[in-house]
Amino acid sequence: MAGKTIVITSGKGGVGKTTSSANIGTALAMHGNKVCLIDADIGLRNLDVVMGLENRIVYDIVDVVENNCRLEQAMIRDKRYDGLYLLPAAQTRDKTSVTPFQMKELIEKLKEDMDYIVVDSPAGIEQGFKNAIAGADRAIIVTTPEISAVRDADRIIGLLEAEGLRDPEVIINRIRADMVERGDMMGIEDMIEILAIELIGIVPEDEGIVVSTNRGEPIALNDNAKAGQAYRNIARRIMGEDLPMMKLEKDSFISRFKKLVGLS
Amino acid sequence: MASVFSFQAVSDGIVMNFRESSTFGSIKKAVSLHAAEASDFFTGVNLYLNLSGLELAYEQLEELMEIVKNYNQVNKIYFTARKIKEEKSEDNYSDAVIINRTLRSGQRVKHQANIVIVGDVNPGAEVIAGGDIIVFGRLRGVVHAGAGGSKDSQVAALKLDPTQLRIASLIARSPDDSDSSKLQAERAYIEDDQIVVEKI
Repeated sequence: MAGKTIVITSGKGGVGKTTSSANIGTALAMHGNKVCLIDADIGLRNLDVVMGLENRIVYDIVDVVENNCRLEQAMIRDKRYDGLYLLPAAQTRDKTSVTPFQMKELIEKLKEDMDYIVVDSPAGIEQGFKNAIAGADRAIIVTTPEISAVRDADRIIGLLEAEGLRDPEVIINRIRADMVERGDMMGIEDMIEILAIELIGIVPEDEGIVVSTNRGEPIALNDNAKAGQAYRNIARRIMGEDLPMMKLEKDSFISRFKKLVGLS
Repeated sequence: MASVFSFQAVSDGIVMNFRESSTFGSIKKAVSLHAAEASDFFTGVNLYLNLSGLELAYEQLEELMEIVKNYNQVNKIYFTARKIKEEKSEDNYSDAVIINRTLRSGQRVKHQANIVIVGDVNPGAEVIAGGDIIVFGRLRGVVHAGAGGSKDSQVAALKLDPTQLRIASLIARSPDDSDSSKLQAERAYIEDDQIVVEKI
């Protein structure tokens, strides 16, 4: 099996890289794929928490590259899907503990029996970022409708191109239809016009994300959440399906009312 | 750093000139940096490395070759030691580099003569030219034409909306409320010691 490696990156922090990685990985596994999530944010690991697997960590990625354990020993099997694994970051080390070369080797090994490898990149453009993109075949950039996030995304696209990772795709996260309509938030067209890359998904702002992150249950598992639906769609697009983009609905009074009484 | 080497366009490629008596260390550093930041700089053209005025050992030459291999899709790489005559001192055909892609945030292009960009210049990108700057696309970054002090230089773009626009020693910025998204080619130049913009 020759798996595909996808790096999830953004440049700016706090735009939803880890949430996106967890949900895309989970949604890919839902469709029966064998998926390994790699947390490349060494020293500030989070992906394990979002996946609800923190208490199962024994070995981590640094142990693997330093040959303190075998790769399989460090891979944590997800509690929900058999085909989903997490290779956690080390919390007590820093980004220099792994080199891009080691990362590449590791990913080559993983590719042998995975369909997809999803690498969660740290924020920034330094060594951590270089490690994260080292073995990637494909890049997905997460951004939010803020000028600063779009600017950083643009920078990242330039850096990815310099590393030979062409045609990255973008996820626009935390968009609010009501604010876009009022002209208080950048619209999707404005962002795509600047970035000039393919849009792979839009994820609406959803309070459920906070709850799901705190519980360690990716929102992609929740059939009723809009954001969950958005991530499941992204996973299907990654698998090659051609789905139309989700229509953003305004959070109108009526829909809020419906939500309140549990109708939607 | 930028003055360790300079570029010169010739009919079939780009010559990379090195400052006389630069140390190998500084050349290595400058070229590696440039190759990392602008690996597509020589895409599709010939690259002439002009070693005139330098003394390099065989190993150093080998090392330099390894570094220039990092440029993508260069047509052919030549080593040369000829004195390339300053064409622009003889007549007014100043040379230009053509950049066939969009410049993104953090990317920077610098050239002693004119720069033509076929693509956008995004916010956060910088273009610095000794002469004119022409952008066949949206100009939203920082541009500096006539960086050597030439007040005859101009900046033209299909959509002129720069973060900051400099010509020679004058600085202008777009009005804060400019939000028209339609393309309208414009040109900025100096008139009576002021930067003026006109539609073209």
